[in-house]
Amino acid sequence: MSELMAPFDLSQPTISKHLKVLEDAGFIEQGRDAQRRPRKLVAIALKDVADWLEPFRRQWEGRFENLDHHLANMSKKEKQHGANNRRRRHQSRG
Amino acid sequence: MALTIADADTRVVVDRDTHTIVLTRMFAAPREQVFEAWTRPEHVMCWWDPAGYPLAECEIDLRPGGAFRFVNRHSPATHQFAGVYCEIAAPYYLVFEAMGAIGRVILEQVEGKTHLTVRIECGSAAKLEQYLKMGIDAGTAKTLGNLVAYVSAMQQ
Repeated sequence: MSELMAPFDLSQPTISKHLKVLEDAGFIEQGRDAQRRPRKLVAIALKDVADWLEPFRRQWEGRFENLDHHLANMSKKEKQHGANNRRRRHQSRG
Repeated sequence: MALTIADADTRVVVDRDTHTIVLTRMFAAPREQVFEAWTRPEHVMCWWDPAGYPLAECEIDLRPGGAFRFVNRHSPATHQFAGVYCEIAAPYYLVFEAMGAIGRVILEQVEGKTHLTVRIECGSAAKLEQYLKMGIDAGTAKTLGNLVAYVSAMQQ
């Protein structure tokens, strides 16, 4: 606990509360030792959360990639349109 | 705890305390153009479906209280996104209400490019689940069901 507290400007009860939440969620495991209660980070639990989010992220990434391409097309069309307008204006003057 | 997946163009952060999903991404276009791409049917039509097909239906009544409806071509029964616009401030801010959540689209200009933020404020863990599931296949949706059980357990 004292090792975990060192980097944070938090009281022991606050750290304990945070640890309890992480433990209940399966993110960390408490080990046993004569004097200490070492905590171990459970990597698999963290990966699971990323897996749940990933399809959602991928869906939006697909959507945003489409938007990226579409914006590029919009710029191209606008430039073309602008050039046509200039040409027309030029022709009408001539 | 907020979870961030950083190593990709599109960033997703889920804030469980406020039941909010935040998506961010940069676009190499001026924000007027990005705003137009979000608010005119002829543009939304072209990019909304993640699979890359044009939408089967796209209706936009762009005014506060006006409705919108985006329907994907391939499974219109399940892949529909519909709601009502709440606030429209071109070219930087768009707020809508859809399927019980509030969506905010925020466009910031950064050196000629546009930083896009989409905030989906779900209001509850159950709505958050619904949003994360939307448009995702059944197998994945089942997995997402576990997420909510998980998240609820973490909140107790």
